Amino acid sequence: MKQVAVVGAAGMRPRRRAQSSWRGSGLTIWLPAGIMTMVLAILVLPPIGVLLQTSLTEVNETGGAGSFTLAHYAALLADPKLYSSAWNSVIFAAMATGVSLFFGGALAWIVERTNAPLRPLAYVTAFVSLGTPYVIYVSAWLFLLGRAGPINDLYRQFSGSSGIIFNVYSMAGMVLVEGFLWSPLVFLLLSAAFRRANADMEEAARMCGASVFRTFWHISLRLAQPAIIGIGLFVFIRNLESFDVPVLIGTPGRVNLLTTDIYLSITQIPPLLGHASAFSVVLIAVVAVLLYFYGRISRNADRYASITGKGYRPRPFDLGRARWLGGAVILLNFVVILALPLLAVLWNSFMPFVRPMNLAGLRLLTMENYLAVLYETSYVQLAVNTIFVSALAATLAIFLTVIAGWLAVRRWPGGATLDQITSIPLVFPGIVLGVAMMEIALWSPLPLYGTLWLISIAFVIRYMPYGMRYAYSGVLQIHRELEEAAGVAGASQLAILRRIVAPLLSPAIIAGWLFIFLLGARELSIAVLLAGPESQTMAVAMFDQWSNGQGAEASALGAAWTVLMTICACSLYFVVRRQSDMVAGS
Amino acid sequence: MTKWWRWRLQLVAICGMAASSALGAAAMAADGGLIEAAKKEGEVVWYSSLIQNQASRPMAAAFERKYPGIKVRVNAGVVSDLTLKLLDEARAGGVRADVSHGGSTFVRLKKAGLVDRYVPDSAADYPSDYKDPEGYWTAEVLSFLVAAINTDIVPPGDAPRSYQDILDPKWRGKIAWTNQMTQGGPPGFIGTVLQSMGRDAGLQYLRKLAQQQIVNVPANQRVVLDQVIAGQYPIALSTFNHHSEISAKKGAPVRWLKIEPVTATLDAVFLLKNAPHPNAGKLFIDFVLSGEGQAVFRAADYIPADPRTPAQIPSLKPEGGNFKVAILPPQMVEEELPDWIKIYNELFK
Repeated sequence: MKQVAVVGAAGMRPRRRAQSSWRGSGLTIWLPAGIMTMVLAILVLPPIGVLLQTSLTEVNETGGAGSFTLAHYAALLADPKLYSSAWNSVIFAAMATGVSLFFGGALAWIVERTNAPLRPLAYVTAFVSLGTPYVIYVSAWLFLLGRAGPINDLYRQFSGSSGIIFNVYSMAGMVLVEGFLWSPLVFLLLSAAFRRANADMEEAARMCGASVFRTFWHISLRLAQPAIIGIGLFVFIRNLESFDVPVLIGTPGRVNLLTTDIYLSITQIPPLLGHASAFSVVLIAVVAVLLYFYGRISRNADRYASITGKGYRPRPFDLGRARWLGGAVILLNFVVILALPLLAVLWNSFMPFVRPMNLAGLRLLTMENYLAVLYETSYVQLAVNTIFVSALAATLAIFLTVIAGWLAVRRWPGGATLDQITSIPLVFPGIVLGVAMMEIALWSPLPLYGTLWLISIAFVIRYMPYGMRYAYSGVLQIHRELEEAAGVAGASQLAILRRIVAPLLSPAIIAGWLFIFLLGARELSIAVLLAGPESQTMAVAMFDQWSNGQGAEASALGAAWTVLMTICACSLYFVVRRQSDMVAGS
Repeated sequence: MTKWWRWRLQLVAICGMAASSALGAAAMAADGGLIEAAKKEGEVVWYSSLIQNQASRPMAAAFERKYPGIKVRVNAGVVSDLTLKLLDEARAGGVRADVSHGGSTFVRLKKAGLVDRYVPDSAADYPSDYKDPEGYWTAEVLSFLVAAINTDIVPPGDAPRSYQDILDPKWRGKIAWTNQMTQGGPPGFIGTVLQSMGRDAGLQYLRKLAQQQIVNVPANQRVVLDQVIAGQYPIALSTFNHHSEISAKKGAPVRWLKIEPVTATLDAVFLLKNAPHPNAGKLFIDFVLSGEGQAVFRAADYIPADPRTPAQIPSLKPEGGNFKVAILPPQMVEEELPDWIKIYNELFK
């Protein structure tokens, strides 16, 4: 594998593979993407159908679809603050994306490409924070940065004033929290990309006298550019569609975003879904346009591939004395993303009721909440159900998206649509997808309704876009020449995918699998809506405690759950990663 | 109002005595024929949004103990999800639930033709306010929505005593309430004000209240109260009085205020039309409203609707705490809620 070809990565220009190529001709070249398109369409189109229908009809007395109306679309335009809301939304999404990219990207490079100390800590941080239930995470942030939180408390003690130094209920607060929330995603995606980066070019640059920063800026970043743009676009769309942070933080601060009103309409009883559906339909159109342009950017992606036939051994960069600076960034990430919020959760879980974090509170420490959680035997079944659902969903989603991602990056005929199809679910609000799945299951001849299978399928659809991002940016890195070499040697396309692409892709596959697994395990709205008496998951218990207001017990349950998820994630990651390292021969 | 209330209390007391003596025996044991029919069905499906580990599961367990051979299958979830499920399941041709409960969702479900009439024996002595005149629902638990203060921040003499006191400029920007658009949130507060002051005076009051710049907290009533306890806000409106008592018992600096009239809402239990197990459903409703079922609610810190079952802290109920209430029954909520939300959107959003 190490001395197959001598072609440099930069000199290659891709050819458009039209009717025939070395991969095959006629039917054989259209078939793979055709089959994948059909499989994905079966998953994605029914919810889109329900979405369109909901957005275009009134709700009748029985809660079903009534007569045709454009009122939901009109309502989007009728928002008197439409322009300021839209502007706020774009600013919020862009700035939060910037925070995630900067923070997660810098971290990924330091961890994967340098010899900075404390590197494993960054992975622990990412996985633990992904395993922490979302509501608990956001409220921990609000608790820390809020008026009664330790930061403003310290300020008051030192300044003697009764005011606050930082108002979290503001655009800045929203951007920070949202940015931090998604930086583990960026970190995992980019670290998979950097991990397989070819060190030759970086070393060449260093040899020619470039500084570490210049090398990073002109070589490392440039090589990862398509991956970074793809991830940035993805996080941007995700932020645009986000409900929770804009509502949880924006409402008290009276910062209005496009999603604020929509959130209020879906939290009514029963939820009014027309407004949210109309918004999603509009977003799907926006996403399609953005993805079209992204497709043009990544057309010449071969130039960026760094895993070529030439022997590649990713060597870490010697930072010299800047090593400690790198270590400091990793530590900062650990403190900001993980330690502080988790500390707030732990504090609340040991308190009889929610109270400020200070020394006076220590005398109230209690194990009561943990005992209540540990004595609740029904949680065992819920945990088993949750792990089953999430693992199944992660496996299916990754399986589908690795194939789809490979077909799309390699520009198989019809491959471009695959990227579009898999990205659409990104803009489904959770509850809209949940209701769509419920309707589909109720009318489907298969006995899916109220089963764990249904929740799994919903998760596959919801998290496919994330899997696609991992697979896509992973494949981008692998140069075609490896596959061509295998093809010349007589391997079938299936064998190439299985024996060349998949092993080289393993860091992305593992990271993507874990990401979906952890996200699924902490997902609340869909899992609660689709659960039947025999398919209750941990989400139902968490939501129950949260909405019934047992804050301290919810924190204890959240903390216990975080520990369990962390153990799952870390053990799996380190076992599989060791194996994959052996496969990759590094 | 006071006179009326005293009369009510007497009525409740009389009913209570009567029930515990003569009627009690009859109400205790549900009809033998019903039990037989229920046992044949073998199970009852209950869509419940009550706290699972403290109320739903203990209730199911107590029922199964009393009626061995009938299994309770609990489908847990939040009210909005359960309502969606009930509506969608019925449209897809199969009612899957036997029994459910809720505050205002009942009317929506009834309009969709999903609710059946049933008044169990055990609810015979419930006050008429707690029952549907047409016999579709019976209140299983009560909620009282009150103002609450952080006692570390607000000195005892400073706490507002009346609706007018809340308008004091010193509270400007310091009052919080949930943003949940239900009768348990700001709309219920608005409804109470309109009901007790009359529409014109009520609207005038609400306009003044809007100048207080109330903070709309995007979370439920319990979280709002927690933020008061944590010192984020000194005072909150529309919180549940039993939450304050539970936290105060653990030492939290919080006290609820009897600003009269207190908003009272009902959580009503009802039988689904075309339920797969109608007899078991009836038997279950009968049990939930009986002294045994109400004791389960009491143990879970809910406020039992049954006048014979006091709350764990008796002062939480109007009878024990001696406070006046304005009840928002399900029909009123269904009819008026859109108007209350509209007022909220105009004045407080």
